[in-house]
Amino acid sequence: MDAIVLENVTKSYDSVTAVNAVSLKVRSGAILGLLGPNGAGKTTTIRMIMNILVPDEGSIRVLGELVTHSTRDKIGYLPEERGLYPRMKVLEIIVFLAALHGLTQAEAGRRAKEWLDRLGLSEWSDKKLIDLSKGMQQKVQFITSVIHRPPVVILDEPFSGLDPVNAATIQEIMLDMRSQGSTIVLSTHRMEQVERLCDCICLIDKGRNVLDGELRAIKQSYGKNTLHIEFTGSDGFLNHPGIGQITRLITGVEAKLKPGTDPQEILKAAVLSDARITRFELLEPSLSEIFIDRTTRA
Amino acid sequence: MRKILLIIKREYLTRVRTKGFIIGTIIVPLIGLGSVLLVVFLVGHTATQSLRIVIVDNSGSLAPAIVHGLNGKLADGQPQFAVEETVSRPASLDDLQQDLRTRINGEKLDAYLLIPQDLDQSFELHMRNPDNFSLVGPLSSAVDQAVISSRLDRRGVHLNDIQTVLKSTDLKLLKVSEAGESVEKGQGIAIAIALVVLLYTALLMYGIITMRSVIEEKTTRTMEVLISSVRPFELLAGKILGVAAVAFTQFAIWMTSTALLFSFGVLASLGMTRNSPLAGVHVPISLVIYACVFFVGGYFMYASMFAAIGSACSNEQDAQQLQWLAMAPLVFCMIIYGVILNDPASRTAVILSEIPFFAPVLMALRISLQMPPAWQIALSLILLVLTTVAVMYASAKIYRVGVLMYGKRPSLVELVRWLRYT
Repeated sequence: MDAIVLENVTKSYDSVTAVNAVSLKVRSGAILGLLGPNGAGKTTTIRMIMNILVPDEGSIRVLGELVTHSTRDKIGYLPEERGLYPRMKVLEIIVFLAALHGLTQAEAGRRAKEWLDRLGLSEWSDKKLIDLSKGMQQKVQFITSVIHRPPVVILDEPFSGLDPVNAATIQEIMLDMRSQGSTIVLSTHRMEQVERLCDCICLIDKGRNVLDGELRAIKQSYGKNTLHIEFTGSDGFLNHPGIGQITRLITGVEAKLKPGTDPQEILKAAVLSDARITRFELLEPSLSEIFIDRTTRA
Repeated sequence: MRKILLIIKREYLTRVRTKGFIIGTIIVPLIGLGSVLLVVFLVGHTATQSLRIVIVDNSGSLAPAIVHGLNGKLADGQPQFAVEETVSRPASLDDLQQDLRTRINGEKLDAYLLIPQDLDQSFELHMRNPDNFSLVGPLSSAVDQAVISSRLDRRGVHLNDIQTVLKSTDLKLLKVSEAGESVEKGQGIAIAIALVVLLYTALLMYGIITMRSVIEEKTTRTMEVLISSVRPFELLAGKILGVAAVAFTQFAIWMTSTALLFSFGVLASLGMTRNSPLAGVHVPISLVIYACVFFVGGYFMYASMFAAIGSACSNEQDAQQLQWLAMAPLVFCMIIYGVILNDPASRTAVILSEIPFFAPVLMALRISLQMPPAWQIALSLILLVLTTVAVMYASAKIYRVGVLMYGKRPSLVELVRWLRYT
């Protein structure tokens, strides 16, 4: 079953079409990476799923229901524009937002304490939010987005501003929630996190869904067309007509093969040149390459 | 509904618990009351001593009349002036004056009055502090009385006769209303002006508090989290009702403490209840009820306007430029209310008080001055309620769009366009 289904969703502001006929299905229990350059329409899409904005055309279903005000209590939401009442105490603010999601005060208080414990914030629960560091505030905000145990969670850039230890904690919690059956939409620019966490991706560019599906399948469909070569000496062999775009790395290069080129011929040319080859590997393209490839296409 | 209650509760508790609330509700009125009581106390208990004075009479005849006229009393019952001695036609005026000046500088004497030989010449009052009007006033009138009396005597007329002839009439002012007649000493106007100022201040103050509260949620970016779990309308309603609850608490504290102050006789003991202008003040209960009804209507209308303005702005600076939209009608009330004070039944007054944006202040003012016909009150209430509903509806629409808009302050045209968004 699909947890989130978008059909032909369009949203325009005055003259700009922010989201243009986007269709998308998010498999229940999966982590979806929602990718796209700045201003591509990710936040607008998320806001429409949250029913904060209403699409001009098309329909959105969450857990089989058309989105309304009542579907929102089934979704946990960490907006990109973060912030909570700065002068409220940490525990009070978590309880207040949990109560708005339908929890009783007592239950909200109990769960809030558990979460503060888990994220190492127990001793801060009586402090005002303004007295906390940015990273701690962000953890508090993360708690408010998941405390009502929503079956669907939308996290917009959850790792920005977090140190590696805290980022790892949040990742762990996300994988935990996934194993308990939650569906997670993760919007981010950090490709290595998407490669590590996501089952599937959706790439949005200029308001359109340009690529979506299971991450593994997408990578395979691109095929093994990238050479990772490490060497010392002259790089003259890279002028071979079978090589397309070259990305230079510190240790060597990543070279894209033109269609129909046999990697073996490149290897032959390299060996015959005066370069000393230390590594020669045929790879699937990285997500970054796919991202750049898709978003820079005319 | 449950969500609205949660929002009201949060809004109320976070506001009531702030230092600002405690200072504004308890400490500021206490300081105000304290300084009023202090002034009353000081005026009533100024412990001045009798002014020791010597009268030097060069005419040789006027001194007794002046001494007779210096009969003022101090607050503690002591005479205001103590005439140490009267020197009639001194042998050497210069020596005497030299001596008197020495006594004044030695603080053994406070003043001396020099009566000229010819009563049409200037009198002289020598003292260390000639700016003390509370002393110079009575002394000057005692001198006047004595001189006039002596002039009249020479013409064979008695001062008392003249005073009887020239006695002015007493014009008593009576207010006629359906409840009967009552003596008017200007309290009616005082109550009316106090009412206008109170309504204006309260509408403006709580309106701006609502606006600030909306802007705070935007600048701190709390808005998007809230909006993802409650409808904008619920948020708006909860906020307005929450601030209303704060206003109610504030007024309840003020009313109760005023009542307590009076009943424990704190003011009575300081002589404020009798012989003071406040003693005649009687606020009819019907006026209190009408004022409350118009205030509630006005509050909902103005608070939703201020909330809509707050939602359209990303920061306080932008809001300061847009808030005149809501403030203008209130300020207009403050400018125009004098016209209604002059003639509360004039056509201008009737029309102005029927306009919903002015009614909360101006109709309440008219009711306090002179009860308007029932249909006029009813009409203005109906118009006020209808307008309030319309304004709240429009504000909710602007609010819904505005809360997610950041960046440039919208123009009026854009605000109107937001009304048409679905």
